[in-house]
Amino acid sequence: MSMREVFDQNPNRRYIMYGGKGGLGKTTFSAATAYWLAKQGFKVLVFSVDPQASLSDIFKRDIFGKGPVEIMPNLFAQEIDADQRIREYQDEIRQKIRDMYGMTEIPEEIENYIQSVAAEPAMEESAIFDEVVDIVGSNEYDYYIYDLVPLGHALYYLSMASVYDQWIDKITGLRTEMEEYSKVANVMQRDKETEEDQILKELQFIKHRINVSSGILTDKLKTAFFFVVTPEEMIILDTKKASDLFAKFDVPLAGYIVNRVIPAELSGENIPAYLVNRMEMQTTYLKEIDEVFAGQVLARVPEFERDITGLPMIERVANEMFGGKK
Amino acid sequence: MNFKLTVSQITRTAGGFTRAFGDMVYGASVYEIVRGLHKERSHLEHLFILIVFGDIVGIPVLPPYYTLRLLPYVVPNINGWKRSLLRERDLTDLCDQEIT
Ligand SMILES: Nc1ncnc2c1ncn2[C@@H]1O[C@H](COP(=O)(O)OP(=O)(O)OP(=O)(O)O)[C@@H](O)[C@H]1O
Ligand SMILES: [Mg+2]
Repeated sequence: MSMREVFDQNPNRRYIMYGGKGGLGKTTFSAATAYWLAKQGFKVLVFSVDPQASLSDIFKRDIFGKGPVEIMPNLFAQEIDADQRIREYQDEIRQKIRDMYGMTEIPEEIENYIQSVAAEPAMEESAIFDEVVDIVGSNEYDYYIYDLVPLGHALYYLSMASVYDQWIDKITGLRTEMEEYSKVANVMQRDKETEEDQILKELQFIKHRINVSSGILTDKLKTAFFFVVTPEEMIILDTKKASDLFAKFDVPLAGYIVNRVIPAELSGENIPAYLVNRMEMQTTYLKEIDEVFAGQVLARVPEFERDITGLPMIERVANEMFGGKK
Repeated sequence: MNFKLTVSQITRTAGGFTRAFGDMVYGASVYEIVRGLHKERSHLEHLFILIVFGDIVGIPVLPPYYTLRLLPYVVPNINGWKRSLLRERDLTDLCDQEIT
């Protein structure tokens, strides 16, 4: 199979992700896929879930915190400004407290809490996690391409979804039981109906948000998850381990793309010894990749003479991935 | 007293209240029952706040982004919660239900 066939045969897979270790080419392939799909006439959004996003670099344009920015016809890119979102959200919470209790000032203890929660390391990630729900929920695009963080984080992101789902069930259970007590007490006292437990409603809302995110990640019909691998011993080993783990989380693996393959044409030329050596190693590891991920390698992308930035370079990568212009 | 409750311990603790309540119903006046119900509920309320907002469980319970969302609803309880934490007896009561 080729990349093009994977996309042609699965038009419902609208959520596209590239996983892989740091620096292998996830952002590059995300941008190239977005470019290729946009050229095919689809409306595409590529967005970054990485607080250290690099879409601005690859598109040579500052898009940070500006919402979806049109890069070319049909192609939009977005980098989430988590800090901004957190600040606005803190203000919303403060306002809600003032409204609910008719306060003019937030009690010091509560204010301290609001600030300390925002300073937690997981705050940024969970704020982005939440924004993604809005992004993919908008339904404005034919394709949503996630520019993912390196593997460790992506796994954390995945496990977070399944852990929190269970937790919310437990907490909701506790809350439901509390409501039962109040109900019974009110009936016995012949009170009006219990006011609905707002917290229970919020918990269900949160559960819904988390389910949307994790649901997409594991939806075989709607999601394609590709791994980026390079012809190096350690990378192959780590990728194998990671893909086994991802499979445990039911992530629908669509295939592997090999990046940074030194073009074979070079070998005929007069090249330095170290490169000859590297190419021999590469031949071994390319063979290994074909064995370890048998039948699932969708494309080999050559090592280019320079970094991939700007649309003309992105186009070259896209042509390598999808096999030239259609 | 070790406050690192596990998920199942917490739910079992909550279940413990249900059983305790069942035992209590026979031979009590309506007034006593209602008071009992409110008491049980406020126990659970404390437990809930401890789980969601107090960092006693050892793992982050909710993504912090969502914890903040629940904060407005527990504002009136935050003071009481701090006090009951200090009184510690309350907390050991809660935990002793199932853990010991
Ligand atoms: N085939 C290639 N030829 C030349 N340079 C490449 C190639 N693929 C990627 N690069 C360069 O390698 C660097 C890392 O690529 P990229 O940012 O896409 O990796 P990443 O997996 O997204 O990294 P991170 O894990 O940090 O997000 C970039 O400077 C990119 O331009
Ligand atoms: Mg990247």
